[in-house]
Amino acid sequence: MRPELEHLQQLEQHLLGHPTPTEKVLWQAQLQLDPALAADVTLQQHLYQGLLLAGRRQLRQELDDIHAQLYRPRRTWLRKAVARLHQALRPTRR
Amino acid sequence: MTASVLLRPAPPATAFLRDELLADRTSTLTRLYQRTFPMVRRHVLERGGTTQDAKDVFQDALVVFYEKTVSGRLILTCSPGTYLVGVCRHLWQQELSRRNRLPLSELGEAEEQLPDFAEAPATESAPALAVLDYVAKLGEKCQHILLSFYYFQQPLEQIAAENNYGSVRSATVQKFKCLERLRKAVRQALALPSAR
Repeated sequence: MRPELEHLQQLEQHLLGHPTPTEKVLWQAQLQLDPALAADVTLQQHLYQGLLLAGRRQLRQELDDIHAQLYRPRRTWLRKAVARLHQALRPTRR
Repeated sequence: MTASVLLRPAPPATAFLRDELLADRTSTLTRLYQRTFPMVRRHVLERGGTTQDAKDVFQDALVVFYEKTVSGRLILTCSPGTYLVGVCRHLWQQELSRRNRLPLSELGEAEEQLPDFAEAPATESAPALAVLDYVAKLGEKCQHILLSFYYFQQPLEQIAAENNYGSVRSATVQKFKCLERLRKAVRQALALPSAR
């Protein structure tokens, strides 16, 4: 993997992984000493929050699709046409 | 933010449901929807709501239910349907309370039974909303990989297989390439400095 991608992977391990207490302390110290790294972390956190919102939006769309599929309006025109046909075919009383 | 790296062991029933959701989300959610929504709709209609209200409440509950289940944060002591109906009753009572401008302290029993469900929604900060726009502008493939991993929590093995990557490593590299593209677009838009 390219160094740039490895850098992203490293950020991800710190943000989403399970660092040990010692690793956490070292990481915090590193962030205080390196403002550019801290800015990178902030950006990465924004990305994760944005992906969370995007994921929720997609899931909501999927649920709307499921709802539409399960409870789509019945074809009233078809039912009415069938009813009219039944009426037309019904023998008339003499 | 949750991701598969955060997973903890879940009880067997919840773990089984999690596996089902990850393997076939649409079928599993359709089954849950079909079994549970009629009960929620009946409850909401009997208490002054509309079918649209019932749909909103039910989908809110399902979104949080999905997130909690796949991240291993849900411990079910009843069936998923019973749990979802309970949550929806609680949410609808909250909504009625909001509409009637009653203090939340008058919510009563339902709230006490489901204290862990009332989660604050993800912070919709300006940068997160900006990211949302740029996610929509990513190609379909990148969007699919990033959401599958970071939101839907699918394992990389599954992502690799679904997207015809030869290995988990290839899928991992592709995921970080997509993340890098998103970062670059967002960083430019927000004019942020970078270490790299």
